[in-house]
Amino acid sequence: MHMLDGLNIINSLPLAALDVGHHLYWRLGNLQLHGQVFLTSWFVIGLLLIASIAATRNVQRIPRGIQNLMEYALEFIRDLTKNQIGEKEYRPWVPFIGTLFLFIFVSNWSGALLPWKLIHLPSGELAAPTNDINTTVALALLTSLAYFYAGFRKRGLGYLAKYVQPTPILLPINILEDFTKPLSLSFRLFGNILADELVVGVLVLLVPFIIPMPVMLLGLFTSAIQALVFATLAAVYIGEAIEGHGEHEEEH
Amino acid sequence: MMGNFLFLANAGTGGVGLNLDLIETNLFNLTLVLGFVIVFGRKVLTNILTERRATIENAIQDTEARQKQAASALEIAKKNLAQAQAEAEQIRQTAITSAANAKAEIAAKTAADIERMKELAAADTNTEQDKAIAELRARVTKLAMERAEAQLKNLLNDSAQAQLVDRSIALVGGN
Repeated sequence: MHMLDGLNIINSLPLAALDVGHHLYWRLGNLQLHGQVFLTSWFVIGLLLIASIAATRNVQRIPRGIQNLMEYALEFIRDLTKNQIGEKEYRPWVPFIGTLFLFIFVSNWSGALLPWKLIHLPSGELAAPTNDINTTVALALLTSLAYFYAGFRKRGLGYLAKYVQPTPILLPINILEDFTKPLSLSFRLFGNILADELVVGVLVLLVPFIIPMPVMLLGLFTSAIQALVFATLAAVYIGEAIEGHGEHEEEH
Repeated sequence: MMGNFLFLANAGTGGVGLNLDLIETNLFNLTLVLGFVIVFGRKVLTNILTERRATIENAIQDTEARQKQAASALEIAKKNLAQAQAEAEQIRQTAITSAANAKAEIAAKTAADIERMKELAAADTNTEQDKAIAELRARVTKLAMERAEAQLKNLLNDSAQAQLVDRSIALVGGN
């Protein structure tokens, strides 16, 4: 953020401005909620709901239009999950991985494509839900829960044996891994999306027209990649938890 | 913290509204990017989806054709089965009737045989009886003749013969 210090000078000019660290606070008891994240999340959820309902409302034998599109998306997610978790166990995890992927993807692209700033809020501004660390941490923690659940469900308490494998010396590192996984997941996504937005914002600040466009297109690309990476890693973690090590597989 | 050095254009103005500042909303670039994505993305997506649809259509058509083929094959096989069954039934009926015929024939033949044999046996018995009777008759005659001859030899000595001759002469002379 100190990089942006140099932008101080621009503040005096009547150009655009960056709005970071300001939120539309909602109060729920003792909790302070970032309202703009909820608004855009609901928008994204609504978009996905409408798309799924529209795709499944009139199911044809030969898919056309939105049904074809959503089936294509489903096929893509199913293949991704199958590749990471394996033919035998992947099926129950398709909804979870698919939800992660679609939500993150549509969030990222809505942030990069839709002129959210047309709507002026009292404080903060609308943007992709994934540019708020709370969203990405929530998604990452859900992923952690999911792989713990997958591991314990598949292997019972034997799941704990993976902490002393391949050698008990690695126990601390293995435990640490459970903390770094959600950390890296959430920070990677959050960082990428926020950085994208900031880069575009700064470029717009410097040159308002045309010049930011390549970066915006690149942002679209990285946004899609980030959604893919998050979903793939979640599937990998779940697959790891289910699979365990080779010799264990034979016992079961 | 950021607020210290990042100028917040609408901070504190309050309320939800429409912000039509072209630069601040980045509307120009966003429209261009969105247009770009829609034009090119649509093209790519349309291609992919059309291809997918064609693949599915082909697969369904293929499957349907194969199903039809299988159904017709099944139909033919069923027809053949029915035909074969009918044939089998017919053969069985024929066999039953021919068996019945053969049975009746054989029974009749056997009955006739038995009858004939009976007759033959009866005829045999009659001739044997006749033969035996004839034989017996012959032997009885023979024995009677032999006995008579023997008796005749014993009785017919010289005196008796002379007596007989005398009596016969007497009979003649008395006249």
